[in-house]
Order: sequence, then structure tokens, then C-alpha cells
Amino acid sequence: MANNSIRGPQSALTDYLASQNISAYGIRQSVDARRRAAATNTSNQAANGEEDDDDDEPSATTARQARAQKRKKQADAIAKIKDSKAFKRQKMHSARDEDDLALDMYQEKFVPVPGQIDNCEECKKRFTVTAYTRQGPEGGLLCPKCSSKLADAEKAAKKTAKKKSTGGPAGGRSRRKIASQLLDGQVGVKSLLTLCVETLANNIDLADDLGHSSPQVIDRIARQLSKRRLLNPHTLNLFLQSQAEDIILYDAARLAPADYERIFQTCSKLKNLKLRNAIQFKDTTMEYLISRHIVLNSIYLHGANLISEEYWEKYLKAKGKDLKALRVYFTDKHFSDKIVQSLQKYCPSLTHLKICHNQAVTNEGIKHIARLKELEHLSLQLVNETSTEPYVHVIKNIGSQLRTFSVRVIPEVDDRLLDAIHDNCTTLAKLRITRSECMTDAGFARLFTNWKNRPLTFIDLELNRYVDAQTPRENRHMVGLCSDGFRAMMNHSGKRLKRLSVHGCRHITREAFEDVFSPNKTYPELLDMEISFCEEVTDFVLASIFRCCPKLKKLNVFGCMKVKEVRVPRGKILVGVPNAMGMVIEGTED
Amino acid sequence: MPALNGNQSKYVTLVSSDGFEFVLLREATFVSPAIKSMLDPKSQFAESKTGRCVFEEISGMVLEKVVEYFQYWYKNKEREDVPDMEIPVELCLEILTAADYLGIDNLM
Repeated sequence: MANNSIRGPQSALTDYLASQNISAYGIRQSVDARRRAAATNTSNQAANGEEDDDDDEPSATTARQARAQKRKKQADAIAKIKDSKAFKRQKMHSARDEDDLALDMYQEKFVPVPGQIDNCEECKKRFTVTAYTRQGPEGGLLCPKCSSKLADAEKAAKKTAKKKSTGGPAGGRSRRKIASQLLDGQVGVKSLLTLCVETLANNIDLADDLGHSSPQVIDRIARQLSKRRLLNPHTLNLFLQSQAEDIILYDAARLAPADYERIFQTCSKLKNLKLRNAIQFKDTTMEYLISRHIVLNSIYLHGANLISEEYWEKYLKAKGKDLKALRVYFTDKHFSDKIVQSLQKYCPSLTHLKICHNQAVTNEGIKHIARLKELEHLSLQLVNETSTEPYVHVIKNIGSQLRTFSVRVIPEVDDRLLDAIHDNCTTLAKLRITRSECMTDAGFARLFTNWKNRPLTFIDLELNRYVDAQTPRENRHMVGLCSDGFRAMMNHSGKRLKRLSVHGCRHITREAFEDVFSPNKTYPELLDMEISFCEEVTDFVLASIFRCCPKLKKLNVFGCMKVKEVRVPRGKILVGVPNAMGMVIEGTED
Repeated sequence: MPALNGNQSKYVTLVSSDGFEFVLLREATFVSPAIKSMLDPKSQFAESKTGRCVFEEISGMVLEKVVEYFQYWYKNKEREDVPDMEIPVELCLEILTAADYLGIDNLM
């Protein structure tokens, strides 16, 4: 070493360093060695290139030193790897030699050196390594194209893993979906039938036959498909079985006239036809139905406003004899007084009649209903303004046999109808009178006091209230359903009542609610109750309701602004609480 | 497993048409009104004495899923927010028929 050094005067620093046993030469040597070691270490051509490089090295000693150092480092690293958990894990799964494995893992740890040219592990193409170059699954380097592919795959994997991991109690289901299910009355575990029907609806394209399912099951499937708007000419085939007596389609909006004709071609034993949103059910379809040997017992047509008056009459004339139930919704001006009049002649056995959203039937038409001697269920919702007399006429004639009486939106009809019902009806189970602006509390009280009728199971007296823009709360003549009527009603029907709506009857007082739902009273059958916009309802009233109605499932309280914090018992649903928590509270209290 | 009346075993055995046997908690089967009435000691059905129900119409694959549902229902019946059980698509219609047969419809 001495002959390598340059002799001459030394600086003070060199003197000082020499006294501390540090030489500049030694420093340079060790730096060079470190650099070289790093270069050979990081380059991929590890072992082979190293030997060739040796001869070019200016100093064999440094190279040897460096190599020795490097080997030591490598040995250390390998020892470390052998200790690591990852190594132990890999060892468990492979039967290879321990050292081989450790060496493999060591080489995998190579960091890419920017600027280097390499072949891609996946596609074998040559590419320039950058700082962003990724390692492939085998430990080699990947070209930008392949690495972006790998990144995408990883992202997708992460996404699905995330989805799975959130499948816990809240179950990856959105708040909206949970709220929607609550509104449907779905709390807790779904039934197996529901689960299957939902799975089926999700995969309806795979089904080519519903097999021999029971009518109830087929109905459930039909409901689910319509709810999801999946009913179309293709899925219609599932319901077309030659033995089918009922065709019930809740959303026929996508069906064309030809599809309806297909129903009549396939289902020759058809007895009950129910179509909602049957927009394309036209005169030609009616004509086809008339020409077939099908005799329907019940027709339910919703939204078929293209059928003209002429064809309604033609159909009733031809096939009305066996018709037991006729329900029509949204028929525009085509289902008129004349048709209602003809019912008596053509449909002697009619027991159900429902005319809704009808623009043609007037007071005249209602009077004709009084002559339907077999009628048991009557529902009307007419657009034309109607007066009290025709309804009274109907009740006086056929009131005693009616089991359902439902009249909606009758602003002009007054207490005389209530008195007629009180005097004539004895077998009613369902009563609906909505939006009367003339009926009074006294009238309702008279109806329900000493009424010979058995207790009702369904009462809907929605929006029978006093309407005045200036003094809405001052109800001097007690118009609408108020406290006395409410008390009398619950007294008469409470025992059997299942569904009750007093929506918007805002003059029922808090005292009346507290009386009706006092601790000594129970309403054992009540399932569903609607008291929205009854302004006097308080937390105490709600608590009383929950106590008095053991079977209650759902209670609507929209617009009851005095409801603040109410404890909802387990399994019951309270909808419409005016707070920031959301509109639904599901019971958790025991 | 024979069980004495009044001292019933906690477990029951469900047997599929192809001879697969599933042993599960008696209470877990009560979600099905059909099985519940079969096992009711008052019913005098043979099943109520032996605690063994044989379903000639239900195959092992389908019954396995039904039994899985029983367990799922039993585990989650007190809870309100429950993730849905997965139904295999290819067995969907058969399970649907079985569910209808066993009356596993309205839980309320």
C-alpha cells in the first residue's frame, strides 16, 4: 500500500486524521467498494456478470473485499428472510430446499433500477425500467401495459373484498333499501318463500317454466316481477299455463294487444282476469275475447282507457251473464251511465262492482246501481260531482245486502247518507267514506250509535273535515269526523277492527284519543292504523295506542307535529315521525 | 332417535327422498307450520313420537338448503336487520316449491 501513496508535505488535517487512524485512501476505497457492491447488488445480472467485471476492476483487493462484503450482506439478508414469517409460510407450502427458497425470496426483493432495459415478465416484450415499474407475480418486472392490467385486477379484487366485508349486520344494504323494506312491513328475517321469489326475479331470464307451483306462489312471483317492472312479452310466457284459471298481472304496461290475445289463446279455462296498467287492451282485444269460448267470472281492468263504450256494451251483452265481479279503473269517458244501466240486464249475478277514476258516470248512473239485486261489494270513485240522493237511493234498495260500501271523494254528500246506512245496512264489514265536506260529527255519532250492523273490520274516514281557508281551526258546526263520532265508531267496531284510517280528521281532540285508547280498553285485531294529520296526537296518545293494540303492525303519523320522542315496541313500525332521524322508526323497545 | 312423550329430544331428524339425514334443533324447525304440526305431541302423527320426518318429495340438495334456512332463521329471528340468505339460482324453483309445501311464508 505504501508505494501507492504520494510522499510529500502533509496538511494539518491529514496529520490529524492520521493520528486518529483515518486515511483518505481508506475512505475512498471503502466508498468505491460500497458503490460497486450496490451496483452489482441491485442489477439483475447478479452472479454471472460479477465474475467478468472482476478483471476490469482497478484493484483486485477492493473487488474481493467488496465481494466478501456483498456475500456477507447477502448471507445476512438470507438469514433474515429465513427468520421472517413470510418465509415460514412459504416453506409450509413447498417441499423445496430451505436455502433455495430463501435465495428466491432474496432475489425477489430486487428493486428496479431506473434506465435499465428488461423483458416484461408477462408479455416478454423489451421495455425501459422506470421508478414506477412494478413487479409481476413471479418476481420479474412488468412493462407499463401489463402492470396497468395488474393494477386494474387488484383494484377490482379490493372492491369485491370490501363488498364482502361490509356484508355484516347492516349487510351492504343501503339505507334506502332498508327504509323501503320497513315501509313494506318487512322487519327481521325474510321468509324462505320471499327469498326464493326474489332470487327468481333476479334471474328471471334463466327461468323457462314455473313448474307446478301453487296459485299463491305464482301470484307472489307475479307481484315481485311487476314490482321490479320485469313483466314483458317474454316473461309473460311463464304465467301462460293451459290449466290456469287466474291470470293476475300487476303491471301489464309493456304488453301489446297480441300478448293479451296470447293469454286468451293459451289459457282456455280462464275465469279471473286481472290486469293493471293494461294500456294496450283495446277494442280489438275485447273483440277477440268475445270471440273466444272463455267465460270470465271476474274482470279487473286498470288503465284500459282505449276500450270504447260500444265494446264495453258488446262484451257485457255477450259474456255478462256469468260475470260476478267487474272492476274498472281509469276508463276515461267510455264506461258511462249507459253501461252502468245495462249491468242490470246483462249481468244478473254481479256481486262486486268497482268503478274508479271514472269521468263519465254521474248521479244518473249511481241510481241504476240500486237495481243490482245480487250486489254485495260496491266501490265508487267518480270524478263528476255527485249529490246525496242517488247514494241514499242505492243504500235504501240494496243496503241490507252490502258487505262493502266504499265511496271516495264526495264533497257534496251529507249526513243523510250516514243515516241511510245506519237504517239499512246490517252486514257491512268494510266502510269507506272520504273527503266529505258536509257530513258532521253528529252524523257519524248517530251512524255508529245503536247500529244493528256487526262490528266493522275496515273503516276509512279519510279527510272528512271542515275546510275553511280563513279560520281552519274554528269548527263551530262540528263538520267532519270529530271526537264524538270517533268515540262512537271505536265503541261500535273496536272489537273486530283490523284497519282504520282517520287521516286528516284533525278535529278529533286529544281527550277523545285518550278516552278511546285508555288503559282499560283493547283493540285485539287492529293491525294497521293511519292517524296522519290528526293534530292533537301526542307521544302519550301513541304510547296508549301501542298499549291498547297488541297486534298493531304499522302506524302512520305524518304531520302529527306534537309527536316528539316516542318509544316504539319491538316489531311495530311507526311511519312519519317529524324528526331528523328519518321518517321511519322501527320498534326496538321490549 | 325415539323420544318419550313429554320428554322430547331437543333435536329432530329430517330425511330427504334420497336418504340424506339432517339433525337439527327442534325449535329451529318451528318456522315451518307444517313441520311444527307434524312434531306436535298432540298431533299423534308418527313423526311426533320418533322425531323423524321423511320428505318423499324433497331431494337431499334442496333439503340441505331448507335446513340451512332453518338455522339462519333460528339464529336471526330476534334481530331486525339481517343480511339475506343466498339462494342458489339453479335450485331456486325447487326450494320455492319446498318452501310452499312446508308453509314457510308469512313469519308474522
